[in-house]
Amino acid sequence: MAYLTQPDYVKYVCSCGQLKPITNLYFCRHCLQIRCAFCICHEVDSHYCANCLENMPSSEARLKKNRCSSCFDCPSCFHTLSTRATLAQPRQSTEQGSGDTKVENKQPKKMYYLSCFNCRWTSRDVGIPDQPVASGGWPERANPYATRVNQLLDYYKAIAQQEKQEKLDRERKKFAIRGKYITLTDKTGLTGAMARNIAGLPSSESSSSAIASFTPSQASEEVEELPEEFYTKELNLNQITSMPQRLASPEWQPTHVSRLHPIAKLLSVKRSQRCRVCDHNLTKPEYNPGSIKFKIELLAFYHVPEVKIISYEPIKPGCTSALLLKLTNPTGHEMQIRLMQPEDIPEPEERVDEPKSIEKSLEKSLNLEKDTSWYETVKRKPILLTECRITIPDVTLTLAQRDDAAEYDDDATHDANDIILWRKSNKLALRLQVVTSGEAQAGAAAGAVLALQYRYRNAVPPAAQPPRDHTLHAALRLHLGPVCG
Amino acid sequence: MALYEGIALIQEKQAVVLDLGTDYTKFGFTGEAAPRCIIRSEYWCPSTRKYKRVYDYTTPEELYDNLVHMLHLLYFRHVLVNPKERKVVIVESLLTPTLFRETLAKVLFIHYEVSGVMWVDSGRASALTLGAPVVLVVSLGARDAEITAVVHGCPVIQAIQSQPLGARAIHDELARILDEDNGTELHLSEDVLEDIKVRACFVPSREKAVEWLERGVASEVREVRGAGGAREGGGARVPVSRRARALAAEPLFARDNELASLPDIVLQCILQCPIDARRALAENVLVVGGGAALPGLKARLAHELRHLVTLPPYRERLGQLQFKFHSAPAHDNSVAWLGGALCGAACGAGGGAGAAGGGAWAGEAARGLARDAYARAPRLRDWPSLLHNTPPHHPHWALQ
Repeated sequence: MAYLTQPDYVKYVCSCGQLKPITNLYFCRHCLQIRCAFCICHEVDSHYCANCLENMPSSEARLKKNRCSSCFDCPSCFHTLSTRATLAQPRQSTEQGSGDTKVENKQPKKMYYLSCFNCRWTSRDVGIPDQPVASGGWPERANPYATRVNQLLDYYKAIAQQEKQEKLDRERKKFAIRGKYITLTDKTGLTGAMARNIAGLPSSESSSSAIASFTPSQASEEVEELPEEFYTKELNLNQITSMPQRLASPEWQPTHVSRLHPIAKLLSVKRSQRCRVCDHNLTKPEYNPGSIKFKIELLAFYHVPEVKIISYEPIKPGCTSALLLKLTNPTGHEMQIRLMQPEDIPEPEERVDEPKSIEKSLEKSLNLEKDTSWYETVKRKPILLTECRITIPDVTLTLAQRDDAAEYDDDATHDANDIILWRKSNKLALRLQVVTSGEAQAGAAAGAVLALQYRYRNAVPPAAQPPRDHTLHAALRLHLGPVCG
Repeated sequence: MALYEGIALIQEKQAVVLDLGTDYTKFGFTGEAAPRCIIRSEYWCPSTRKYKRVYDYTTPEELYDNLVHMLHLLYFRHVLVNPKERKVVIVESLLTPTLFRETLAKVLFIHYEVSGVMWVDSGRASALTLGAPVVLVVSLGARDAEITAVVHGCPVIQAIQSQPLGARAIHDELARILDEDNGTELHLSEDVLEDIKVRACFVPSREKAVEWLERGVASEVREVRGAGGAREGGGARVPVSRRARALAAEPLFARDNELASLPDIVLQCILQCPIDARRALAENVLVVGGGAALPGLKARLAHELRHLVTLPPYRERLGQLQFKFHSAPAHDNSVAWLGGALCGAACGAGGGAGAAGGGAWAGEAARGLARDAYARAPRLRDWPSLLHNTPPHHPHWALQ
């Protein structure tokens, strides 16, 4: 919860150089690297309506322009509209007086209209007739410019087609060897067009009816003058739509409140994430829109040791302050952690233990170009220079695996140590010293950097091999409030 | 028909059209009559807990990040398609900074791995929506007013006019008048000013404006209170005076010695065009852009042009010009977008000649850039670059 509501005090350095809190990071189990939303590939997984939680296949979503067919938003305040039922007496009761109809007319019919519970807008306000069925059946509006746009489209497509054809003809002409002999048509002066005319075919120049029948827009001298009412009438602001109301329906953009129509609700998508380097999925959501679970969920929160600040003494220039940190091992295996300075992290070496099949190397050489160019653009140099320096104790800390049952044990074991404050199942608290340089400006934000080296047991892939341990590194930046004067 | 469409869609994914404006971004599919969404060009920045505008940047990296976040928002919240392996049509001004163009290309090709990008300039795109051969496009954007003459599918580069007479100029004037009338500095935000402008302001006809500028706005024009939810410090609603309602757009038409008002730059654009095209241009004026939707603005521009052409220095050189106006088959703020959508649908964003017809330049420049070509040489075609605007028969090429 603290991650949602509070500023991010602890930020990890992603493999692309961005600084993010651990809850925003992913961990690729195949590259053994931390990834963030900036350096992974997002994909649309499935479409669904967030209101009725109905799945929609992507082809259907495309046909319906990504809009739900049964849910509507209020055009006035964008809240979801509710369907309300009323009883309506059929109107023809007065006109027809015979016995049978009277019996029928006694039963009032249920009619439905849309209403907004937030701003009290109803579909009756704008004269949309009530519907006899509860869902769907609402009148659809066509774009007023649709026919003209279709004409233009046909016209330009025909022109593009014709240009392509002409280009082909020109190329063919270029390569056609001029024969020694004059062809019959040349000799007789019978050109292709004439031959076509005689045969009763349309001549090739006016090849398309779309081009021939197209009429360009006509300019007119008269411009629509400002209506007189602007000069004289009282302005009722409630009758004129605001900019967000207009832009909510880009096809109509109503300027007057009486032209507002219910907006079919925009669908939402479930996204899956993919590592760009190895193309493995990092997350994949479940198909069911009601479920918030994932099929694949490689989040850094479950794989990378978590660091939280318990407390710290105020940072003063030239002084040493105590800093209490809590380390948590989120994995199901025991974990050894060493603290380091970030500059001591060894440069990532080429992974030599890669299986060297021919296909793999071929694939790699094909992807090589893409990978390098992509990394150059995305890679950022994280700012890790700070005035505060954490004194790193040279110890290896061992953290037990996560055990959900251990949550219920109360007693924290105090193994007396000048570094470890307390230890409790997979968590431990550390006491560290922060040395602040004398040049730190009072009032500036104080930050300290820290690196973790941890043993990570990769349990799953590849299935045939036994789980392997890896030594991994993570750098992080702690925000220690402002420097005190 | 549905089946046929399905086949076409399998063959090639429908390209998307992006018009990334200073204030509003228009985004949708090619071949459609209106954009799917028109949203503010800003995204929620979680670290600062504020909306961040795409155009607020100081370094290329910041712009890169802004564009990545903005496109993420557009693709995954509004249009709901995978950006990967899909073509993009970008509608942009001819005066877009090179840094912005190249960063946008980098974001699209490298970050989102789109398969091809086609650039269409907004002037020509707007002209495409008419189908007329010669069009004078007056585009009133958020920041600038741009006048482009499009003659047979070719924008006349040397005649392009641009002045900071967009929506911002109106907002500034509106803020000034409101401050003056209320006797305090109100510090109204851009949103509030826009709302006041959209709901309360109008542009009077020329004769009325001249009269009102001298003697004050006639009392028939009603005042209105509380437009835009603007409140003074004490909580009372801000009254919008009749002067603010009627005269907020006057800076667009205010003439000075620099001849930089909106009607002036329209006439100067015509003046700098080839003499054969001038009459046709004046008879085919198209006013587009979000700023053009202000009630009465188009009519006022017509009055001003017809008046101004009778005055020196235009009287001698332009003679008797008839001004005629087009109306595009789209709302004012999405005309350029519609042009991009038509162009993308007609020629396919990955290549093919420009459907605008006409000059070779048009065909060349409208040609898209495929992803593999960009990977080989990340260079964009641009009109100021000698590499791209030197004609093929120029002796320079022989020297190489």
